[in-house]
Amino acid sequence: MFNIQRRAAVLIGAILMLVALSACSGKEQPKAAAGSSAQEQASAKTITISWPRDIGTMNPHTYNPSQLFAQSMLYEPLVSYGKNGKLEPALAESWDISADGKTYTFHLRPNVKFSDGSEFNAAIVKKNFDAVLKHRDTHAWLGVVGVIDQTQAVDEHTFRLTLSEPYYPVLQDLSVVRPFRFLGEAGFPDDGDTAEGVKQAVGTGPWLLSEYKQDEYAIFKRNPNYWGKAPAIDQVTVKIIPDAETRVAAFEKGDLDLIYGEGVISLDAFQELQANDQYTSQLSDPVGTRSLLLNSSNPKLADIRVRTALHQGFNKEAMVEGITSGLEQPADSILSTNYPYTDVQLKPIEYDVAHSQALLDEAGWILPEGKAVREKDGQKLEFELIYDKTDPIQKAMAETIQAEWGGLGVQVNLTGLELTVQIKRLKANDFDLYFWYNYGAPYDPHSFVNVVASPGFGISETLSAIPMKKQLDKQIHEVLSSTDETKRKELYRSILETLQEQSAIVPLSYVKKTAVYQKKITQFEFPANRDENPFSGLKTQTP
Amino acid sequence: MIRYIGKRMLAIVPIVFIATLVTFALIHISPVDPAEAYLTAAHIYPTPELLEQKRQEFGLDRPILEQYLDTLGRIARFDFGRSYLTNRPVWEEVKMRLPATAELALCSILFSVLVSVPLGVLAAVYRKGWVDRLTRLISYFGASIPQFWLGYLLIFFFSVRLDLLPVEGRGGWENLVLPTLTLSLVLIALYTRLLRVSMSEQLEEIYVQYARTRGLPERSVVLKHALKVAMMPLITSMGMNMGRLLTGTIIVEQVFSWPGFGRYFVEAIFNRDIPVIQCYVFLAACLFIVCNLIVDLIQMYMDPRILAKGRTES
Repeated sequence: MFNIQRRAAVLIGAILMLVALSACSGKEQPKAAAGSSAQEQASAKTITISWPRDIGTMNPHTYNPSQLFAQSMLYEPLVSYGKNGKLEPALAESWDISADGKTYTFHLRPNVKFSDGSEFNAAIVKKNFDAVLKHRDTHAWLGVVGVIDQTQAVDEHTFRLTLSEPYYPVLQDLSVVRPFRFLGEAGFPDDGDTAEGVKQAVGTGPWLLSEYKQDEYAIFKRNPNYWGKAPAIDQVTVKIIPDAETRVAAFEKGDLDLIYGEGVISLDAFQELQANDQYTSQLSDPVGTRSLLLNSSNPKLADIRVRTALHQGFNKEAMVEGITSGLEQPADSILSTNYPYTDVQLKPIEYDVAHSQALLDEAGWILPEGKAVREKDGQKLEFELIYDKTDPIQKAMAETIQAEWGGLGVQVNLTGLELTVQIKRLKANDFDLYFWYNYGAPYDPHSFVNVVASPGFGISETLSAIPMKKQLDKQIHEVLSSTDETKRKELYRSILETLQEQSAIVPLSYVKKTAVYQKKITQFEFPANRDENPFSGLKTQTP
Repeated sequence: MIRYIGKRMLAIVPIVFIATLVTFALIHISPVDPAEAYLTAAHIYPTPELLEQKRQEFGLDRPILEQYLDTLGRIARFDFGRSYLTNRPVWEEVKMRLPATAELALCSILFSVLVSVPLGVLAAVYRKGWVDRLTRLISYFGASIPQFWLGYLLIFFFSVRLDLLPVEGRGGWENLVLPTLTLSLVLIALYTRLLRVSMSEQLEEIYVQYARTRGLPERSVVLKHALKVAMMPLITSMGMNMGRLLTGTIIVEQVFSWPGFGRYFVEAIFNRDIPVIQCYVFLAACLFIVCNLIVDLIQMYMDPRILAKGRTES
């Protein structure tokens, strides 16, 4: 018996020693080993990144669970979206638009091959368009889908789209990552219906998927048949790591070269990595705006004085700085200026508590003696603010707004909801105050104005009680079908000015993408298109 | 014996019946419309016409009872339908993820037994000795440390600081070490204390005293006689834990990027992927029953008195 205890003692002692060793020595030798493993990887010009979810089926024409960045590595558009919304030739070398804005003729790039060596031509373009248009309902969210009347392969390298009515953002819509990108012949199922799946992931893009294990990893290698400038790196390995803290640990260990995306690591972790000299970090230009909807269909919010008072009644700058520590930027207008047509000087609504209080008094909402909440005709000035309970930033902002408006005599009740339920209430117009995000590049500004005018997305409803709603809708319809560039500019200016003055959509902050990477990456650029992958502009040290 | 197993297997039927009834009811009570959930998951804007079409396709317009019977019929044929999200047969998706979860579950149970049996025995035999005090400490930590935090701590020390083991993923044995440790600590805490208590009790029993009087060496008294009986509560507890581990250890799979069943299920919940949720509940019910059955069989083998008692009762 003693024997057993002695043996156990040795075993337990060994385990304890190991733990103690790890605790003490860990601090003294900061990852000598991690550095060496990173170096090994560098020698092959490969990089490893992580992604929270499996890359999904590599089908260019379907959505969830396929991941946009991965689809964009394999499949390319006719036209691509460059910095500040400049449209650049991709698979189409050039294009002509008829005077009435209803016919788009694309001159396809010659000598483009799919990754399996097959030809890229007008016939395969038509086949892809037709496969997408077979399911118009699925893709109806994209404006161009509703107006395409005919697709035609004119000759080997000319493809023509005929529209039922003019719609100016055709090219922007064709530059999005899905659904209008091109699958090679070998990928099509026998009946040609890609909605049910693809046989092979064959694209024209710079990458091809060489190895894949669902929920674990995916390895992309350079496409040897790529027509354009080959990427500077040979291989991208994507590890599927769902947990944000684990992602940071893997990065610190040197298993990952790059953490990239929106909200992929916590604010704390980003700051910690940012402060560490061993790594480089970068913030993108605004990719979207976090706004607060003040639903004007609620009679209390139908009064512009109340909305303006609320807009002026909280210190946006302090809130955004304090909560996001510089990761987001206080927003003065609903759309940032880096989209087409949005670079208009709008008058910001400044923080002014005294003015807010005066406006509320003027609107008849009086603070009764000894009470904390304003009243009018026996009704309290009280609203419900819905937020996503899994989003710590939304929660903190909701609490700040609640406190600041409380000081004005406005009661805000917070309701944390699950995302699906939240969206349901938005669509059903069942809300007072709601955190809302625009779509970003390449979708805006046209997608934004589209939901302003179309009911069913919650935005049109939010604006329903503003006096010039009908005129606004008319302007939006005009701007989307306008073929005159100057007129379009003017219309956008007018629409954005109206929305700014009405304060029914209160811009809070501009959301940015983050990137943190190891020193081995020498150059990194954020893509202009929010959904594209960042690997084309990425360079690593030469080994 | 075979009759007994048969009888127990038959018990699966009503339990599964109830489990499916509960899930079916929950899905119908929940404010989320399956047709809408499908369209949202597939990223299709739910227009009223499309919703109507999908409702018909899913048979949601038929009487509830008919729908339920239909669901039961399909489950009996192991047909769980297609995932709303991936449009692939649910059973195929689940089958693919089960091995990873099973691997982790078996390793954890095995490891915790290997550690807690010697510790528990020593703690009982040398009460108030240092092993006893050590196990008390382990139990204290094991019961109070949240699993995700323990996981992060282990990753921090063993992977990031010492660079001994990989941070995450599934692959070789190295990948198994940290998730197994994370899952095992709480089990070790539980089993060690359980074993200590039941072992102490057994050592007071008359048969032990008798064995000692017969002049048997202490070692054989403890290990051959007392331990066999003292293991009983441990085995019961193991059966329950096995069921729990096999249905996916959601937090640990998340922290260590383990491509298992639990992670898949959580994603299904977020996406309201109803066929997957149904399949999960069904499997969970079956797994728990089977684990309990195995436990009972082991106990019968180890302590024939149970079977005898069962016989006299029936």
